[in-house]
Amino acid sequence: MALFFRKNVLLVITLSVFAGLLLAAAQGMERKDFLITLLRGLSVGSLTFLVASGFSLIFGLLDVLNLAHGTLFMIGAYLGWTVYVRPDTFVDLLTPLALTAAGFTAPALWNFIAAQLPPAARENRLLPWGLLLLAALLAFWVLPRYPIAAWDTENFSQAPGSYALMLDQGAPLPFPQVAFEKISSFLALSGLLSIGVLGALGLAFFQPPAQPVRPGWKDLVPIVFLLMLGLGVFAANDWLTAVLSGLNSNWLFLLSVLIATLSGFGLGALMESTLIRPLYSRPIYQLMLTLGMSAIGIELVRAVWGRPEFTMPKPALFSGSGAGCPAASFDAWWQNNCSIALVFEGRVRVYNEILIPLVGVFVLLAVWLLLQRTRLGMVIRAGVQDREMVEALGINVRRVFTLVFGLGVGLAALGGALAAPSMGLSNAMGESLLLNALIALAIGGLTSYPGAALGSALVGLIQQFMIKYGQIGIPIPFTDILFKPSAPIVPASTVLLMVIILLLLPNGLLGKKD
Amino acid sequence: MSNLLEVHAIHTFIGQYHILQGVDVQAPQGSITALLGRNGAGKTTTLKSILGLTPPRQGSVVFDGRELNGMRSFDIAALGIGFVPEHRAIFRDLSVEENLKIAERKKGDYLRKQDFLFSLFPDLKRLLRLPGTSLSGGQQQMLAIARAFIPDNRLLLIDEPSEGLAPVIIESMMAALRQISAQSTMILVEQNFLVASQLAEHYVIIEEGRSVKSGKMSDLKQDKAAIQRYLGAA
Repeated sequence: MALFFRKNVLLVITLSVFAGLLLAAAQGMERKDFLITLLRGLSVGSLTFLVASGFSLIFGLLDVLNLAHGTLFMIGAYLGWTVYVRPDTFVDLLTPLALTAAGFTAPALWNFIAAQLPPAARENRLLPWGLLLLAALLAFWVLPRYPIAAWDTENFSQAPGSYALMLDQGAPLPFPQVAFEKISSFLALSGLLSIGVLGALGLAFFQPPAQPVRPGWKDLVPIVFLLMLGLGVFAANDWLTAVLSGLNSNWLFLLSVLIATLSGFGLGALMESTLIRPLYSRPIYQLMLTLGMSAIGIELVRAVWGRPEFTMPKPALFSGSGAGCPAASFDAWWQNNCSIALVFEGRVRVYNEILIPLVGVFVLLAVWLLLQRTRLGMVIRAGVQDREMVEALGINVRRVFTLVFGLGVGLAALGGALAAPSMGLSNAMGESLLLNALIALAIGGLTSYPGAALGSALVGLIQQFMIKYGQIGIPIPFTDILFKPSAPIVPASTVLLMVIILLLLPNGLLGKKD
Repeated sequence: MSNLLEVHAIHTFIGQYHILQGVDVQAPQGSITALLGRNGAGKTTTLKSILGLTPPRQGSVVFDGRELNGMRSFDIAALGIGFVPEHRAIFRDLSVEENLKIAERKKGDYLRKQDFLFSLFPDLKRLLRLPGTSLSGGQQQMLAIARAFIPDNRLLLIDEPSEGLAPVIIESMMAALRQISAQSTMILVEQNFLVASQLAEHYVIIEEGRSVKSGKMSDLKQDKAAIQRYLGAA
């Protein structure tokens, strides 16, 4: 303990200064104001942490600065919104996605088939490109004809904003009905499946292995699962839509957050295995790639969901306002599902200021347990330090890279889906958060997981206290001056904090000294 | 006696530098082979080339009848090759026990080898809970060797085991290596000729990226001229 103290004098001093500042703030303002500001700070900090922790995991293990992380946070929000407000669109999308992806999930099978070909065909350079072209053409032909009930950004009465508004007012718009008109359902399904199979075969033919390895049943689990999922959802499409749209909004919200997180994971894994992997030896290209991806992601979201901002109604558990609200106790809140609770006479928004920090703490602990208690976590911690040695132990590091990238993006998407009901959805919601997260990581230490948590909390708290002081002012001691920080000081204050901490501790608060 | 590993005329580049310019190594099954040579001769690069960490551009590496060229390092290691790198590469953020557990290739490897390891390195037993960094240089070396021994490796590549260690500790490490070598073949890079000559039965001398001389260690010990010429030691 004494040793720890001596080694980390600066850290201990810095943290005590923060504690002192917080204490001073608690003395200087009303208790309810202090409490609300504290909770708001933790809420912002919690969302920042969801972005920052994934970013730092990815940077620590893969050395990739994923500048698209903010965009992926935003995409998570839009995905969550889609499942929540338009479950019919989500159900319609499942079949084409599952069937197209199915083919790509059995590389062992295609490699085996590729190895069976006569040498003349195997050495043919045109064959793989031909197959890929065929798959692309098929995709262009089938996908636009596949009926998917979606919103229409061009038509105001069916725009995403209108659906959200009507749902918020308790009168959801009816979902449009679509049917197989431009293509027969059999042709569509077999077409979708062929896209994946042809594409994956094309990829396998690029480098057919010399010795074929017969695929075991384990290699075929994903493809069979996706096939059954795709066909099952196709058969039960109407029933599933009815079930989901009839679902209590709390459960639907939970589902939407889960789906957003899982899609984030899938998106991240796909990004790593296709785009990032070829660029590990070229860091500058990587940076340019992720920056470009971030711009592309924003434009894609604009193309699909449209430009204007819209809201996402809070689930019923957090939106009550009838008799008995605002709730003064947990029981009262549980009975009436109030959107606002009274804590020490302060009016606290339950979703924004209690649920979000709680989820943040939950994720903090869950990922901490994953890192400390599982073999995967052990490999990640070891790999952050010395990738080559982990490889020399015979551990497939590539698979771990893909998992970690997926995990990081999944956390960002979780943050987005969670933030949507409180922040609303906009194309730009990810950028400010990524900036916050980068500052938080610089403060906490770039590759330190507890550092990400500490830095995020500090950034959130500083911002919210600056906003609060902008309203009530800071009395400067020994003078009559009341200093009111203006709005631009709010973002500047976090940068200032970062500068001070980096001057004192160049590796951040909990960063490792190398 | 057959060779577990045969390295034939490998050429390895690091960046634009042509580090290995034709190295041959034969590691007979069940024995210790020492790679000797001056600093910067390419001994470490030879070990890394075997593992595919710096893949050779030419030549072949055959392990147990299987060509390793073109395989990924973790697949090569998984065939049963353990590596103890020059600077030990103990994982700082892992406890001593986790440093051993991470090397498991099959579940239970650690539990199975535990008793034998603690009889070799009694020190490790009381250090299990400590973080990997809190160990002394000698303890780190023991841990790195123990880690390479956890899975059923048939070949161990050990780089500079005696570097920076006190003579007493070198003695106990040599005793441990001898015991381990009863169970797996070893290739040893060693600057300290005294250590190398006591442990190894075979040797390969590498000079400026080429293997220039190889044979039985007992013959080399007699050949003072060769020792003087290639190793600069008496």
